[in-house]
Amino acid sequence: MAGISRRSALGAMGASIIGSAALGIRRASAQSGGVIYFGGSLGMSGRYAETGLNIRHGYETAIKFLNEEMGGVEIGGKTYRFELAIVDDASDPARATALIQRQIDKDMSFFLGSYGSNIVLPCAGITEAAGKLTVQVGASADQIFQQGYRNIFGFFPRASRAWATSVEFFKSLEPKPKKVSIIATNDAFSKLNTQAAAAGCTGIGLEVLDLLQLPEQVSDASSALATIRARTPDILITTTVDQNSLVIVRQMIATDTNVPLLYQFLGPQLPAYRESLGSKATGVIMQLPWDSRLAFSDPIFRDSKSYVAYYNKNNSRPLSYHTVGASACITTYVEAMRKAGSLDPAKVRAALAATDITTAFGPVKFSPEGDGDPILMGAKIGQVQNGEVQVVFPTEVKTANLIYPTSNWSTK
Amino acid sequence: MNGTLLLQTLVDGLILGGIFSLSAVGFSLIFGVLGVVNLAHGIFILGGAYLGLALKAALGLDPLAAIPIVFVVVSVIGAALHQTLVSAAVRRGSLMTSLLITFGISLIVRDILILIFGPDIHSLASVWLLNTFHVGGVVVDGARATALIASLALLGLLSLVLYRMKVGRAIRATAQQSFAAGLCGVDAGRVHTLTFGVSAGFAGASGIVIGMINPFSPFDDAYWTLNAFVTVVLGGVGSPVGALLGGLLLGEISTLSSQYIGSRYPNVFIFGALFLMLIVRPNGLLGNAYKGSV
Repeated sequence: MAGISRRSALGAMGASIIGSAALGIRRASAQSGGVIYFGGSLGMSGRYAETGLNIRHGYETAIKFLNEEMGGVEIGGKTYRFELAIVDDASDPARATALIQRQIDKDMSFFLGSYGSNIVLPCAGITEAAGKLTVQVGASADQIFQQGYRNIFGFFPRASRAWATSVEFFKSLEPKPKKVSIIATNDAFSKLNTQAAAAGCTGIGLEVLDLLQLPEQVSDASSALATIRARTPDILITTTVDQNSLVIVRQMIATDTNVPLLYQFLGPQLPAYRESLGSKATGVIMQLPWDSRLAFSDPIFRDSKSYVAYYNKNNSRPLSYHTVGASACITTYVEAMRKAGSLDPAKVRAALAATDITTAFGPVKFSPEGDGDPILMGAKIGQVQNGEVQVVFPTEVKTANLIYPTSNWSTK
Repeated sequence: MNGTLLLQTLVDGLILGGIFSLSAVGFSLIFGVLGVVNLAHGIFILGGAYLGLALKAALGLDPLAAIPIVFVVVSVIGAALHQTLVSAAVRRGSLMTSLLITFGISLIVRDILILIFGPDIHSLASVWLLNTFHVGGVVVDGARATALIASLALLGLLSLVLYRMKVGRAIRATAQQSFAAGLCGVDAGRVHTLTFGVSAGFAGASGIVIGMINPFSPFDDAYWTLNAFVTVVLGGVGSPVGALLGGLLLGEISTLSSQYIGSRYPNVFIFGALFLMLIVRPNGLLGNAYKGSV
């Protein structure tokens, strides 16, 4: 425990120092001088630190591979090495925007995203105004892609389109569910997803029984669960972030609040969630943006299997979908630069917009507004079975059969 | 109104309130005896939870069994912090200085926790947690009921120390009139250090209880400091009974407002009650245990 954490935390604390140093070096050596810098901010401390560190590990892994295994990348006849100039925004939008502005003032051209729509959205406004590019794997709020911005690209479909696979999954269930309830928290991410989930469910004839909202930080969900016990739905959806999801499910177990299907948008993807619940986690459904058993080719790492092996060899932190996505952000950037044969942001932007490649994360293709293609980059549906996450939908890529309806907590 | 649902809500509020009480008692004691608003309170709670986690990982010790060890270790750390940093702020008699010092301690300890354990979410599990049971139509959450029992036991223990033991008399005497206590041979400085240490120990112990029912990360300290502050304002300063009353009131306000008005904004009702109490009875339901009510 201590070994993993100390390493991760030291990385987080040193990030701003490293970032500042990199920026300093950048002044001395111009972009055309052989080093390409990726700027941006990331929540390596504060409330989003866990995911922020996952993303950082993904960025670092790709950079390390490009420099150490490939010896750099040839773009327009010159070989370039890469440096990460990411700084810690402490999960704070105000701090993030100030840091991004400072990097723009130093003429940084290529940005990687932070985590959280509340941070990425204001930063996107700044980079857009300066004509700088951003590729990110940490935000999917509709507003980011409805501002007419041309220079931001996201790896997830916007929130309102992110439920397409889930709704198809609900439609495929036998016996047919009739009623659904949703637990949300009072924050933008959860609200957006709740709206999308409710609209999708209503669209296929499911009755939305209750829409229960909790405070942004959940410490007690007893009132919401009392309602669920009184009016039990066939499907309970939670659109909450990891820690809140864990609070809710633990209290569901403790109060013997049973539903035929529990769908938690975020949470079950984390090893910490599954370790905390043990066998009780079996049956919980989640969106699964990536799974290590799905084989994809990759222009940098060769394929997803090689990526996983390389990552595990060089990191002790468990691999998450954000980590793979972060590495794929850099792969996508590099492929766009190669294709453009130039480091001119306008040419790289055009190549990014035309991206149609496969990476270790999966297919990468952006919508005209810059978010992930809802079909190609849409999430799969996963289910926890015996402590492991299995892909259960779409059936063409499933790794295990769906357990539905799930058994009561007391018998798990 | 559904009678069972009301009863369920009241039981849930009672259990939640018990946990709030335990998490606030250390804050209350420091406020009552030293006059310090301890902004490091939440981080002492988290420190206890992380120590429980480390003891489980290193020795396989059940978190509930680890409470005495956690209490002692966090007490010693609290006393050392008081001796080296907080006492200087208290001597200057400036509320702002003590706020800054304790806030600074919380930031430093938070970073130390991140350094050692990382920013990830953790949780504690005990084999001694009660099973969930049903009374009529009411479901009693076994984990939270265990936490309530642990809370009541620890609050009872503190009452015993404060009202039945010599050291408790010294603490109460120092809180009432430090100069007079000194004339009677009580070393006020040592009592302050002892009080700060014991309060930190209680915060650490409550961290174990909280960690068994809720997942935690190093960034949760502000939440628990704020809850402790509200609990103390509602219940009154300095006594375990005041903390218990304040916590129970806070728990009931939280669950009743969530169930019957809307679960989105329990803070509106919690802080509404806080404002009301500050206007009607500024020293809380039981007043200041040592200095009388106003």
